[in-house]
Amino acid sequence: MHRLLARQIRQATDETGQVDVTRLGELVGAAYEESDSDRRRTDRAIKLMIEELEQTHKRAEQDLLRAREFLDCIIENIPIAVFAKDAKDSRYVLLNRAGEEYYGMPREEMLGKTPEQIFPRDIARVVNEQDRRVVDSGTPMFLEGHLLEVGVKGHDRLVNSRKLLVRDGDGAPQYLVGVIEDVTERITNEARISHLALHDALTNLPNRSAFNAALDERLERAQEASTSFAVLSLDLDRFKEVNDVFGHPVGDLLMRAAADRLAAEADGAFVARIGGDEFMILMPDDIGREDVLTLAERLVEVIGKELEVDDYLSQVGISVGIAIYPDDGVAAATLLANADSALYRAKREGRGRVCFFESETDQELRDRRLLRHDLRQALEQNQFLVYFQPQARMDGEVVGFEALLRWNHPTRGFVPPDQFIPLAEENGLIIQIGEWVLREACREAASWPRPLQVAVNLSPVQFQAGDLERAIHQILLETGLSPTRLEVEITEGVLIGDFTRALNLLRRLKALGIRIAMDDFGTGYSSLSYLQSFPFDKIKIDRSFISNLEATPQSTEIVRAVLSLARALNIPVVAEGVETEAQRAFLEREACEEMQGYLVGRPDLIERYLDLVGVAVERRVYA
Amino acid sequence: MQIQYLHWNAAHGWRGANALHEPAQLVLYFGCRKELASGERYRELRRLYPESHIVGCSTCGQIHGDDISDDEVVAVALRFARTRVRVASQAIASRDESRRCGVDLAQRMAAPDLAGVFILSDGLNVNGSELVAGITEVVGPDLPVTGGLAGDDRFEQTLVEADAEPSPNRVALIGFYGSSVRIAHGCAGGWDVFGPRRKVTKSEGSMVIELDGEPPLDLYTRYLGEEAAAEMPGSGLAFPLRIHDEAEPHRQIVRSVFAVDRDARTLTFAADIPEGCTAQLMRANFDSLAAGAGDAGRQARNALADGIEGDKLAILVSCTGRRRVMGQRTQHELDAVAAELGDDVVRIGFYSYGELAPPAATGRCELHNQTMTVTMIAEAAA
Repeated sequence: MHRLLARQIRQATDETGQVDVTRLGELVGAAYEESDSDRRRTDRAIKLMIEELEQTHKRAEQDLLRAREFLDCIIENIPIAVFAKDAKDSRYVLLNRAGEEYYGMPREEMLGKTPEQIFPRDIARVVNEQDRRVVDSGTPMFLEGHLLEVGVKGHDRLVNSRKLLVRDGDGAPQYLVGVIEDVTERITNEARISHLALHDALTNLPNRSAFNAALDERLERAQEASTSFAVLSLDLDRFKEVNDVFGHPVGDLLMRAAADRLAAEADGAFVARIGGDEFMILMPDDIGREDVLTLAERLVEVIGKELEVDDYLSQVGISVGIAIYPDDGVAAATLLANADSALYRAKREGRGRVCFFESETDQELRDRRLLRHDLRQALEQNQFLVYFQPQARMDGEVVGFEALLRWNHPTRGFVPPDQFIPLAEENGLIIQIGEWVLREACREAASWPRPLQVAVNLSPVQFQAGDLERAIHQILLETGLSPTRLEVEITEGVLIGDFTRALNLLRRLKALGIRIAMDDFGTGYSSLSYLQSFPFDKIKIDRSFISNLEATPQSTEIVRAVLSLARALNIPVVAEGVETEAQRAFLEREACEEMQGYLVGRPDLIERYLDLVGVAVERRVYA
Repeated sequence: MQIQYLHWNAAHGWRGANALHEPAQLVLYFGCRKELASGERYRELRRLYPESHIVGCSTCGQIHGDDISDDEVVAVALRFARTRVRVASQAIASRDESRRCGVDLAQRMAAPDLAGVFILSDGLNVNGSELVAGITEVVGPDLPVTGGLAGDDRFEQTLVEADAEPSPNRVALIGFYGSSVRIAHGCAGGWDVFGPRRKVTKSEGSMVIELDGEPPLDLYTRYLGEEAAAEMPGSGLAFPLRIHDEAEPHRQIVRSVFAVDRDARTLTFAADIPEGCTAQLMRANFDSLAAGAGDAGRQARNALADGIEGDKLAILVSCTGRRRVMGQRTQHELDAVAAELGDDVVRIGFYSYGELAPPAATGRCELHNQTMTVTMIAEAAA
């Protein structure tokens, strides 16, 4: 008996053992109903499920179809040749449009055929071998940038190709899928781009990047091998003029021609155009300075020759600066800067020159030598001038002028006195120059209608050598200037050394009636003792104290002390470097007698101060 | 441990009480809502067991031994030799507080010698997953935690109480303490997925608004037929949903329909169903469900240690959806459990709105639908 029925009978049986047939009927009926309902639910669910699954299946099929169409579309239009072959016999089963173009034949002629039926025998053999290798090993094959000899278009084409195995559901080899990408253009372009990146488009010489790379490499090598080499920095002279006169097309032709000449002449060296009209040359290792110089001079000569460009005859020059590794620098930046510095000097000294780099000290020495050399000719070539600066009482009334030496160098312009006077003192030229200044100053002063003082500086050298007294005497006689109008300004340097001789000389000058002023007071060592040993007619307070009056209280006190000292000694004081009204007012309050400085007037040619010396302008102009 | 089985019906009142030699520590009872709601059954039990903890809930059918009853009340009185029992209960104002409630109750239970927790919870207004998460957060994932959600006959109201008259929106916990108590459990379903996988295209918490862009009620109506669909949500228990969690693909998450909104054509399930997840309908037949129940019994019995002294109790908590599908054949699943547990085990239990037990796969207590869960409680020999 079914256990459910047994239970139903039990449930329908009362305590006396009587079976309630109606109750049993209900239970059994309900159980049938439950079964029916479960079966209906199950049938319904199965039916619906099948429908749903069918729909899902249909949707999936459609999705699959769309995905397939999508992929087909991509494969067909991709600009890379794609093929598939049967893994067993290498018969082609798929070929896209790029593949047709690649092999140069329509797919109908390839599909269903083996390589032997399509390609020449030797090529078919290679293709088959590759196919077998991929199928047997299961490993994909990659070939990059290789020359392909298959197909019509395939000749002389560089391709990246890959071939891989596709297995079926059971893992057995099913298809060989191949992809062939024509990279000929890309590889050619890459080569061209990399050439362009490292070369100057106009001259085809290596460019700045290439030069920098070459220099870095060379430096590394030279450091390891302890060799030396030269870096040349070159600049075409007057090239801009060619451009301006003949136009850029001719300029370009000229630039190309010049570059060709440079490259030809510097054969074996690394010649680069680094921009505009600038070139750099990296010389081979261990070439001596002399040989470098010879080459550089040859370049100057060759470039300097006339160039015939496009029916124009034009001439450019070239200047060359040379720096040598390791003497002139071990780092690229230093070497280049020093080669440029040498080039700059070459151009400054006149174009078409070759200069080696010189250190700063070398340059200074060289410069002093040049200056000394030029100084010798300055007097003969009338390069010296005398400037006059007015001196005045505190109320502004001009009482005299200080004569000041100036050198107007033909190329350097005005050379500062503190640069050339020490040189003139070193070689004794100061004696001649000093006399010249004295003479000029006296002659000028003698010509003034107003009998103003003229002050002239004397160098210690003038006191030590030559016959200063006689020279002054002679000049006064020559110019007719009254000795009382002449004032000589000396520094304490005059009294250092042969003190007695100097003192005697000063006394004799004073005896002539010439006034003696102590210059630069306060800046030396022992001025006070000199004040005691000689009766100076005037003290000049150094400009440094005056200019600091407003800035430091110490200056104020020093000026006060000097003024008070001078008053006690009964020596008048001139304040130098007075530039502002405040300075003047202070000095007046402190009872300073005279002043000199921009507030009164700058040093200048006397023509500027004609009114002060009493010359009517018209008279001077028409005289 | 000694067990006294007792039951109540309208004709006889309580039978079988007070046969124990010593007072029981715990009385566990299950009954239909109609009989529990007045509180009279509780008061009677309290008179019978004045010193015991008395814990119970309303059900969708009580299990006692081999039988299922709808209008009786079944109970067991338990006398432990070396095990202490504590109970706690708490009202819950809204589903959102479920986790908090779990944490609070578990904290009241927590003690170093806590050996296991059995939960009886309101079946309609508590988020069972969150409640369990709150409890395991406190007691840890390895402590045996089992139980069930109370039921009724029409998804209206469920009752739970511990040491008081039963009331809705309650959660009660029973804690077993000491080294002697042995707790074992098993959990299985017997359902199979069928039909295509569907996407939960729109959901809010436990309410599914769209399945594959379609109102879920439409799908259920199609599968149940108009007539049966009119009996939703009860009839919907025939087709629970299997939820696929991508993070834990082997985790079996089964959710039953709990409520239906015929205007919005939405369905509310027993726990949250995240938007975007994949769901698949499930179905079962009489035999597969009975086999599943047997499986749960076997798991529990195998897990119970040897060396047990005294009586052995098995609390069966089975889903109302299973009963709904099996009808009179529901007995088969009880037979299957009994066959696995053996004759020496006292069986009591109920049909629920949700089962709480650790599945064999994870070992961490979770909310289930459509399963049979078996919790065995016994004491080891001294």
